Amino acid sequence: MTTSTAPTAPQPGAPAAPAAQTLGDFLGVLEQHGQLLRIHDQVSLEPDLAAAACALTQLGETSPAVLFDAIAGYHDARIVLNVHGSWPNQALALGMDRDASLRDLFFEFVRRYQQYPGEMERVASAPWQAVVVDQDVNLFALLPLFRLNLGDGGFYIDKASAVSRDLDDWDNDDVENVGIYRLQVKGPNRLGIQTVPQHDIAIHLAHAEARGQDLPVAIAVGNDPILTLVGAMPIQYDQLEYKMAAVLQGRPYRVVKTATGLDVPWGSEYVLEGRILAGRREPEGPFGEFPGFYSGGHEYPVIEIDRVSYRAHPVYEALYLGKPWTEIDYVQALTTCAPIYVQLKATFPEVVAVNALYTHGLVVIVSTRCRFGGFAKAVGLRVLSTTHGLGYAKIVIVVDADVDPFDLKQVMWSMSVKVNPAGDVMILPNLAENLLDPAGEPTGMAHKLIIDATTPLAPDQRGHYGEPLGIPTHTDQWRQRLGALIKELHG
Amino acid sequence: MSQTTPASPHSMCPRCRSTTVVVHATSPVAHVWTVYGCTTCFYAWRSTEPEENTNPDRYPTVFKLAPADLAHFAVVPTIPPLRRT
Repeated sequence: MTTSTAPTAPQPGAPAAPAAQTLGDFLGVLEQHGQLLRIHDQVSLEPDLAAAACALTQLGETSPAVLFDAIAGYHDARIVLNVHGSWPNQALALGMDRDASLRDLFFEFVRRYQQYPGEMERVASAPWQAVVVDQDVNLFALLPLFRLNLGDGGFYIDKASAVSRDLDDWDNDDVENVGIYRLQVKGPNRLGIQTVPQHDIAIHLAHAEARGQDLPVAIAVGNDPILTLVGAMPIQYDQLEYKMAAVLQGRPYRVVKTATGLDVPWGSEYVLEGRILAGRREPEGPFGEFPGFYSGGHEYPVIEIDRVSYRAHPVYEALYLGKPWTEIDYVQALTTCAPIYVQLKATFPEVVAVNALYTHGLVVIVSTRCRFGGFAKAVGLRVLSTTHGLGYAKIVIVVDADVDPFDLKQVMWSMSVKVNPAGDVMILPNLAENLLDPAGEPTGMAHKLIIDATTPLAPDQRGHYGEPLGIPTHTDQWRQRLGALIKELHG
Repeated sequence: MSQTTPASPHSMCPRCRSTTVVVHATSPVAHVWTVYGCTTCFYAWRSTEPEENTNPDRYPTVFKLAPADLAHFAVVPTIPPLRRT
């Protein structure tokens, strides 16, 4: 149901529910709420793991996480998948009721997001420092890596947060970056990394390469669920992900500084430290990517790993990524909506909500109050100049304030009756687009589309709308009464 | 099919058919699997994977690469010129 407008989450000003600080803590929360499956039977790395995770996403929007603890070829490896792969899991990550509606999740998420910045708290040591390997590093032996999709060029680390700093501005915490980038394991201590130009780490790398220096990186694997969401979030270059994680968690975010000066989450399971090699590119890919197609091969930067640290008996976390929807779509859901909403609302306070759930926001639906004719088109244009709009938003649908953008039936109603292509469709030629969008021509460029699905307002006197339908008196009371009776009926 | 599988399994890259194959790792529990890698196209595979991923004759045509194809991969991001100080 998306009819309620009152969030079930804490109201603005109320303290956020405490969120888990480690992956292990969060697995406990999931288990307590019936959202963790444990598989003790021995499984093969291929094809069992990808198949199981893919199957979970086919079982609906409430699937649990799954933890495997008997992996063929390893003595005691543990792998968890689908930690973020359902709406109840997302709600629990935020410390909310597991049955919170998507609309409630959105409003609570953006409420906390707008409290940025929180506090980053540096502590002296972390559990992940228990075991250190700094000679003969072999990632294939240390991590239970596996292939996700048939045509992938190899095994990928696909749910880790990479930390980097700007060599030109080393002491500025706010431009430190934490982001999830796909990492192809190409050799025992060699990774390929995808850093498309829209990513913040690409700025760090460009500065390092202009200096002819390697860029130090730390890669945190297996994190609390909030950090993963923040790592996937297109926040601004000078916003620090740890300060965002702090407001989403409701308490200071704990980190530990590495010897090279990078801040790494206190709660991580594994930490890989190394360098992106200056001026070096190597073949990488293909990899099955979020648009539901393989990415093709590119010459991508290369990381050499010098040291791996990990907890005693760590859990390796990964996600399955396939034809949407899969876990990646949940990770890129609220995290994509919130930054667009906040940036848009700063310009247009009339904006009510933003649904950018679909394929990392390649489609964005905005509901807004409109002040005069043409207003909705201006809102749509502004979406394209948000941080995320620059490289992703390709189709923008603008609907009226009384249309819930998360309710696609209402959105399609708006499209059905409020759009006359003669005056409501704008195509903007040849704008920047993510290079993973297979429709780009050339790659990284696309026309963009704005559909004005709002009711025309003066002086835009098009159409013959007359009076809209309302709802009968007492419908709200009857909805509550009948809802309770139906619940009883179903036991 | 005119191409044939080499006599020794895993001595040829399933994807680009180069013979630049190295062993990346063997399983921590002995004799369960071996991970191989190609130093030409950087494809990696595990000995226990289905044949579509391990056998050059069964590798899907759509994903095959010739070593010459690698020269056409786009460089992303581009490498900036060294800054003059």
